[in-house]
Amino acid sequence: MANVDFRAVTKSFGAFTALHGLDLSIKSGEFVALLGPSGCGKTTTLRMLAGLEFPTTGDIIIGDRRVNDLAPGERDIAMVFQSYALYPHMTVAENMAYPLKKRGVPKADRGPMVAKTAEMLHLTALLDRKPKQLSGGQQQRVALGRALIRDPKVFLLDEPLSNLDAKLRSQLRAELIELHRRLGRTMVYVTHDQLEAMTMADRIAIMEGGNLQQFAPPAEVYARPANRFVAGFIGTPGMTLIDGALVQDQGRWLFEGDGLRLDVPALVAGASAGPAAFGIRPEDVHIGRGDLQGEIVLTEATGHETIVTVALSAAVRVVARVPGTPSLRIGERVPVGLDAACAHIFAAGPHGVRLNHPSGAAGADETDNIAAPLRVASKGVVS
Amino acid sequence: MMRKFLGPVVLNVFAWTTILAVAFPLFWMLVTSVKPQSELFRRPPTMLPESWTFEHYWHLLSQTNFLVYFRNSVMLSTVTTLLVVTVATLGAYSLVRFRYRGRESLAFMVLFTYLLPSVVLIIPLYLMLVSMGLSNTLFSLVIAYTTFALPYALWLMRSFMAGVPDDLEYAAMVDGASRMGAFVDVILPQLLPGIISTALFTFILSWNEYLYALVLVNSDEARPLTTGVMNMLISSFNIEWSLLMAASVMMSVPLIIVFAFLQSYLTRGFGAGAVKG
Repeated sequence: MANVDFRAVTKSFGAFTALHGLDLSIKSGEFVALLGPSGCGKTTTLRMLAGLEFPTTGDIIIGDRRVNDLAPGERDIAMVFQSYALYPHMTVAENMAYPLKKRGVPKADRGPMVAKTAEMLHLTALLDRKPKQLSGGQQQRVALGRALIRDPKVFLLDEPLSNLDAKLRSQLRAELIELHRRLGRTMVYVTHDQLEAMTMADRIAIMEGGNLQQFAPPAEVYARPANRFVAGFIGTPGMTLIDGALVQDQGRWLFEGDGLRLDVPALVAGASAGPAAFGIRPEDVHIGRGDLQGEIVLTEATGHETIVTVALSAAVRVVARVPGTPSLRIGERVPVGLDAACAHIFAAGPHGVRLNHPSGAAGADETDNIAAPLRVASKGVVS
Repeated sequence: MMRKFLGPVVLNVFAWTTILAVAFPLFWMLVTSVKPQSELFRRPPTMLPESWTFEHYWHLLSQTNFLVYFRNSVMLSTVTTLLVVTVATLGAYSLVRFRYRGRESLAFMVLFTYLLPSVVLIIPLYLMLVSMGLSNTLFSLVIAYTTFALPYALWLMRSFMAGVPDDLEYAAMVDGASRMGAFVDVILPQLLPGIISTALFTFILSWNEYLYALVLVNSDEARPLTTGVMNMLISSFNIEWSLLMAASVMMSVPLIIVFAFLQSYLTRGFGAGAVKG
């Protein structure tokens, strides 16, 4: 077990800079997800940690060792690849024994270790098969087994579930969470799937354009997105974001945009009038009560809830999450309420920083950390 | 109804005609090699020999340089094959796995040399080999054959190498192997079909080569089978047909044996690049 530190790490490929001065501190035993759209730099980050790419500037620390110049095999890490990268000419047992063999574990000791790991991953019956003879889920288990068989300081997982079907994915997701809990090892998990990141990680590092956007526990990322990018990226369906401006009216802050005039929750010190964005999550939009009027444009029923898109004006559409399957007709005009206390205000621009405290917990940073997971959990983080 | 039957019939007739046309010379070679001298030019010719004899084979093996040429050819083809496969495999690895300036142009330059007719290269190559003091040696032929077998071999290996996922090598490196260790443990086994195709291709090419052998070597100690047999049995006045056919049979046997065992790999090699290896 070891902590992992990125200190001002930059990576350039020729003229293209994939990573701009990344600072990231992963605690020992922590499960961290690197989350972001493709091309955000998350895979480059993981590959640098693995030693498959080398940073242009900055330092990478594993434990208390600077590993910048160490070969992958010298870093005491194990990695699961998106493609599984099982050695096609070796049997399952040989695949799992390979890292042991390369590290000089005597042949007599390898057998029992393979047997033990295989049992843990339900692979015992498959030990003599070649990877080609296995299903996707079984191959994934072998790849995990090859990583788990040693006791490395850090596990690296590069979108390990993305090639599996939805059912298998959720099953293996649960197994991975259980595995991390049991082993307590430091794990770095790259994914573009926010559901995986939200459900598995202790903390999520959200990246975009080679920059770290936010590094926080899942509940906090959801409840208190650090900037507009994170707000738009996390959550399904996504947060509605309305562009407009912050104005001050008789000492009261208001948000104005597209004919709307909305109350604004407590702003952080230093927020000033000017262009801004108003964000509201689907569960904080109420249909059938409220002081706004809107026309229903689209309803998407999933059974336990219905996602309703309402047009407040020609330009502004908000998305609401309604439990069950209410009888709403498209074109129907309904009262709409936006829960101002739960609104998120961001400065202008695609990466505009957050300008308000979350959910009326102005300044109460510590208490909010405890309250946030409960609040979010009761509403369902993502569908 | 008629068309349903006619199609396959026409196709079969065509296929068998082609096969016969290709196979008949081989059959005639075999038959001629076991006919006694007296039966060779008889008219009408006998399809199957009336009396069988292996005297031509015995004559070749006991009274001529045939075995020397045979040994030369085996050595020449084997060494060339080893050299070409080694260089092509490592070269392909470099071209596919490493990023450096001029990588693509290098690959095309190598291919370009393959486009030149060998006659154009033969004189410069001869002069170079002479100045290196290698004229009239088997080694000079090894070098010459390598120059024209390597480009194709390199491209063949390159397409096989491109079919091996990068992740395999990375996984091996993370698992504790060095780059070379990963290459040997993980990459080479994936390349085996490619290596066999390339080896077969190079071996056949070297075994059958005539022009370079004719120009670069003119001593019996270093002659391979192709030029050796021609030199020995064909003169301006006479062609020893029965001996020539016996020699041809014995020259073909090693290739046929190797081919029979490895032909599935060779056909796979021709498909490389089209289908992931």
